Amino acid sequence: MSLKYITPSERFKRYLPKDYVELIDYGPFGKTQDEAGPGNMGQFKELVEEHPMCSGCWMAYYIRLIFASLPKPEETVTIGTAGCGRLAISQAAVPFIYGNYGDQNAMASGLTRAFRLRFPDKTKDVITIAGDGGTMDIGFSMTMHSWIRGEKFTTIMLDNEVYGNTGGQSSGMSPKGAVLKMAPLGKDFEKMPATDLAKAAGCVYIVRMSPTNIKKAAKVIRRAIFVAREVGPTFIQAYTSCNIEYSIPTEDVFADAKAQEKDRFTFDEYMTDAAKEVIERVEAEEKAAKKAKKAMEA
Amino acid sequence: MYYVAKVDADKCAEYKCTTCTLYCPEANTLMFDSVANNAWVDEDRCKGCAICVYVCSDMLNRDCITMTMSTPD
Repeated sequence: MSLKYITPSERFKRYLPKDYVELIDYGPFGKTQDEAGPGNMGQFKELVEEHPMCSGCWMAYYIRLIFASLPKPEETVTIGTAGCGRLAISQAAVPFIYGNYGDQNAMASGLTRAFRLRFPDKTKDVITIAGDGGTMDIGFSMTMHSWIRGEKFTTIMLDNEVYGNTGGQSSGMSPKGAVLKMAPLGKDFEKMPATDLAKAAGCVYIVRMSPTNIKKAAKVIRRAIFVAREVGPTFIQAYTSCNIEYSIPTEDVFADAKAQEKDRFTFDEYMTDAAKEVIERVEAEEKAAKKAKKAMEA
Repeated sequence: MYYVAKVDADKCAEYKCTTCTLYCPEANTLMFDSVANNAWVDEDRCKGCAICVYVCSDMLNRDCITMTMSTPD
């Protein structure tokens, strides 16, 4: 996809579905983050459409945030796998590829390489968005090997600490002692150290966080994408609670995310020197562009 | 009958605030009207989770959003 491919000719517009035309006119395609980004969600037509995820799902919120933070939605491909997340990811106006359970990082490896061969002059972003089961349990070998090979794409793990889609089995990422519907005696081993594993496997930018601060969460997503374009694999582990399996009343979901920020999901950012260089350069460029725009308006 | 969020438009317009629209898990549902300066809810899309009520009442102490029963016309 590209911006040219998405934009219809003016005369053809009245024959197209209203939703699509709205997306072109009021959506984030071809706009900067200040015009249509996470900071003004609710004031433009967002990429994610209605989806069947549960009421008050914090994962749905984080997915909404991911799509609002994309630096170039028209040049992005998302890859997901079985799990709750794909129900919303597949409803967005960004090409989505469904991997067999756990396959997402292996597919992304091939896709990234193919993009680099086919479009050497363009920047194409590949992002895998999968749950904790898809990334760390069933897709573990494929995730680890894509990192070990140094594949240049972003992996986002929506960590809800349970298999929420299949009735509440404990996953490798469930905390020790967690009593769940299909683990009534409590989980008897520790939560997997996902960020440490990523570090050992050679990820160049790793973040563990609970997305309660929109600005910070969006910055992390963008940094991960920018670094993946040039340096190597990047990984975000984000807390996206399952209010059904962990019995959190929907109105307390945000409070729970804030509590987890002080507990298992303290903010932790790791980057290599090469990644830091890219981040500093890109953010300086963005700042300069913002300043130039302000000066133009004044 | 659906349980949906309702924004008190006059009360909301007093504050220059878009915080609730940022934390809704549903996209294109809790929107901000930048002309009238208040948030509004697309009732057909609202799933009634009340996260916006938590944001408006518990976090910001502004009490502009309430949960109401909506009946289709």
